[in-house]
Amino acid sequence: MQNVVHLSFAATTVAAAWRLATPIVFAAIGETISERAGVINIGVEGIMLLGAFTGFATVFATGDLWFGFAAAVGAGLLAGLLFAFFSITIKANQIVVGAALNLLGLGLTSFLFRTYFVSTGQGVQIAPALDIPILSNIPYIGPALFRQNALVYSTILVVIAARFLLRRTAFGLTLRAVGEHPKAVDVAGLSVSLYRYCAVLIGGALAAFGGAYLTLAHANQFVEGMTSGRGFIALAVVVFARWSPVGAFFVSLLFGLFYAMQLVLQAEPNLGVPYQALQALPYVVTIIALVVVRNRTDAPSMLGVPYRKA
Amino acid sequence: MKRASPLVVSRGERGLAVADENSPLGRAGQARLLHWAIRALKATVPPIAAVALALLVSAALLAVNGFPATDVFTIMVTGVFHDVRSTSEVFLKATPLILIGVGLCVAFRCSIWNIGAEGQLYAGAIAATAVGVSFVGLPAWLHIGLILAAGAAAGAFWAAIAGLLRIFFNASEIVTTIMLNYIAIILTDFLVTGPLKDPAAAYPQSAKFLRDLWLPRFLPPTRLHIGILIAVALAVVAYVFLFRSSAGYAVRVVGINPHAARYAGINVPKNILLAIAISGAMAGLAGAVEIDGVTFRLYQDISPGYGFEAIAVALLANNNPLGAIFSGILFAALRSGSELMQINAQVPQVLVFVIQGLVILSVVGFAALKRQTARPAE
Amino acid sequence: MTIDRRAYLAGMAAALATPVAGAAQAADEFKMGLLVPGSVAEQGWNRIAYDALMDVKNKLGAKVGYVELQENPAAFEKAFRDYASQGYNVVLGHGFQFQDAALTVAEDYPSTVFLISSSYIHKGKVIGLNTDSSQPFYLMGAIAAKMGKGAGLVGGMNIPPIKEAFDGFARGAKATNAAFPVSEVYIGNFQDAGAAKEAAVNMISHGADIVVPNANTAGLGVVQAAREAGPNVGTFSVFSDYTSVAPANILAVYLASYGAGVVRIVTGIKNGDIPKSNVDFGLKDEDVMKFTYNDKAAKPVPEDVRKYVESVKAKIVAGEIQTRKK
Repeated sequence: MQNVVHLSFAATTVAAAWRLATPIVFAAIGETISERAGVINIGVEGIMLLGAFTGFATVFATGDLWFGFAAAVGAGLLAGLLFAFFSITIKANQIVVGAALNLLGLGLTSFLFRTYFVSTGQGVQIAPALDIPILSNIPYIGPALFRQNALVYSTILVVIAARFLLRRTAFGLTLRAVGEHPKAVDVAGLSVSLYRYCAVLIGGALAAFGGAYLTLAHANQFVEGMTSGRGFIALAVVVFARWSPVGAFFVSLLFGLFYAMQLVLQAEPNLGVPYQALQALPYVVTIIALVVVRNRTDAPSMLGVPYRKA
Repeated sequence: MKRASPLVVSRGERGLAVADENSPLGRAGQARLLHWAIRALKATVPPIAAVALALLVSAALLAVNGFPATDVFTIMVTGVFHDVRSTSEVFLKATPLILIGVGLCVAFRCSIWNIGAEGQLYAGAIAATAVGVSFVGLPAWLHIGLILAAGAAAGAFWAAIAGLLRIFFNASEIVTTIMLNYIAIILTDFLVTGPLKDPAAAYPQSAKFLRDLWLPRFLPPTRLHIGILIAVALAVVAYVFLFRSSAGYAVRVVGINPHAARYAGINVPKNILLAIAISGAMAGLAGAVEIDGVTFRLYQDISPGYGFEAIAVALLANNNPLGAIFSGILFAALRSGSELMQINAQVPQVLVFVIQGLVILSVVGFAALKRQTARPAE
Repeated sequence: MTIDRRAYLAGMAAALATPVAGAAQAADEFKMGLLVPGSVAEQGWNRIAYDALMDVKNKLGAKVGYVELQENPAAFEKAFRDYASQGYNVVLGHGFQFQDAALTVAEDYPSTVFLISSSYIHKGKVIGLNTDSSQPFYLMGAIAAKMGKGAGLVGGMNIPPIKEAFDGFARGAKATNAAFPVSEVYIGNFQDAGAAKEAAVNMISHGADIVVPNANTAGLGVVQAAREAGPNVGTFSVFSDYTSVAPANILAVYLASYGAGVVRIVTGIKNGDIPKSNVDFGLKDEDVMKFTYNDKAAKPVPEDVRKYVESVKAKIVAGEIQTRKK
């Protein structure tokens, strides 16, 4: 009996990890695609906030959930366009533009929220949970794991789609070449800029979608700065996962798991460990992981370098 | 690569000078003056124009959302320069921004993307507090010196972790410094509720520093302290280091092209570590100065994001430590003004982040324009 | 339901009439300033102070202004001075962290009264105004221990106002049923509504059937978790009335109308009656602290429990029960 109870606790924790990982998966996959094309966008946090706010405000005004997600993606595309213009067209330093985007995302969403909303807590109707037939009826683990909303499940689809895109399509192969040997792509008569624009726009759209998950499918509120660093975590995930979409999924899940576990452990009375130690855990683990995987060998060789025609 | 002496350059540009030959300065002197004036103008006009553009866009944003934009900016400007006190507050806020910004200039010149100044500031604040509340009985000047040194050392240490991980494990410093930010902030949270908590108070804060240990103030009754002088002095030191010393030259070469630097016999890892440690030391010092000059004790939220804001300060200055003095003051003025703007016009203070973001974009935009126009000459 | 904030701001147009800092103003005008460590657009801690300021404006005809500061001790002193130097009669710093700065500024502006929320200070014209939330939380603990199997408390950060309230809850629960399990989680900030929700979901899965938030807006994640868990999980509406968010789950509402208390104190100050000690609002102040039941809950608090809670409340008011460490 005791084991069964543990099993169900474990399933609840994994389910929580999955939900907590979902926004990070979207943002990290988007960033993976962008970085594969040689563009590093540290403005993910800002774009996520824009997505969270735009989605929330749209659903608040229209009541239509899918309209909200569409608007969030639109905001992400706009932010991506801004980033691409500065980092690709006028070849500004990508870190600099990303830093600006973070400031704009935080400032703009907080400014508009404070100007137009006086929240009374009502929030919006979030995406409903979907029971997966059969699986959701598995005793002990089914109800926890397979009664999530569609967005949580869709993390698997987006991983498969991203992997397919990067590995099996001509577009994806060229995209990766743009990150490794832009000159070769240029010589072949393809536009490096165009491919980088596409990659950045996909990255922006996915980051904003991940942000919208926070307001439209997890909590039902917008709170200023509610991304709480998830965009930065996504950046770490990309490196940790060696620029692989599948890897990004599992590393995000690991992050979610550490976060969920610290919430579980804190609730444990008489643990004797300061709760701050548990909160610091995911960040310490990231650093250790970077040391263990000894990265950079897989990094796109032109990451962060603007392409100039000779 | 090597910078020509001003004299040589001015000779080269003598043709530009439309000087009065009878002037007491003499022709060469005048040409030099004019040259410097042009240089200063060239260096200052783009950032000023960029800031003006950013403010214009912010004003449009305000107007679109129904705020009286002109009134708002009048409040910002008149408020900041209203009296000695309000102006002194700008310099007070500018102090940590300049300190950190100057350090980041060095790191960024080495192409080390230290995003962790915030965490390094916290590390410095923790160490400064630990030293400040212990060693009772030391002479005050020595104790103050120790407080500042401890802050700088802790900041350098915190940054060096990321530097070493980069050198030995190829771990991206962008990622590790961000993670170290979180860890330092959580550590502070733990310390002010635990080991460093003021035994005499119920609040999560350290004991207060004795009055003797406070950084001296030089413009009473304002609370402007000598931190701003330290910041300006260190900016000059950093400028000389970067642009007038061979050690600084090596740091810059590593930043421009590490492969070439290696061929030239420059020790790349050593310079990376040096650059990130300097930036960490400056951020740590900023933390110590905030503790010993403004708050006099450690809290959970000792910094409102100075470490992130200083990234923009360094970039706006084109990673020139002397420029960071002015961009630091500008960002501090924006922040001070934004507080007044809220008090007097009910504009949400968070607008300052939008303005800062726009300033950065606008600056890089102008820099790109300059590159475009300069290209044919290259 | 969200209201256009503009409607609120329109009422504050007076502030725009004299836009420049320090401009000459009518000397007899009564002015009150407010410093909050965050946004007043969010429901919760900062909003309470904003509402109090609006009450002062409407009931006393005072000219008011507020500033949303980030958690930044360096800015506190400047903001106090910004108000004091403009001749504001009363400035409220909304949080214990404002205390140091107020004490410093008070030395230079002897005619301004500085009120500090959740502080016990009393030094000259710097006066602490504490709302003792451990008292209503004690009542919640008592209700939880009578009705539930276990309680989970989700806090923003481990700071005195929140810790005291949670300790009050635990005391109330233990006094009612010594074996009643109570667990606590701090999410480490006041923004991450998702994390607050997951903390509550986890506690519910571990057997808690009462979850209680105390994390500003992020706490709404806890209410959301209770709603999604169904009618068997109860929660409380804390500081503000969220009954409409989870009508089936909210058992009772603890409404802090700090405004009533602040208006009372500020009216006194306006009439020259400055408090002679620090102010500690509790259940005894019925204008400030309201504790009401939600009769529409799926499982409303039964009559016998209400009677019990009534007796506990009477003892707290009479000082027979200590809800927090003195």
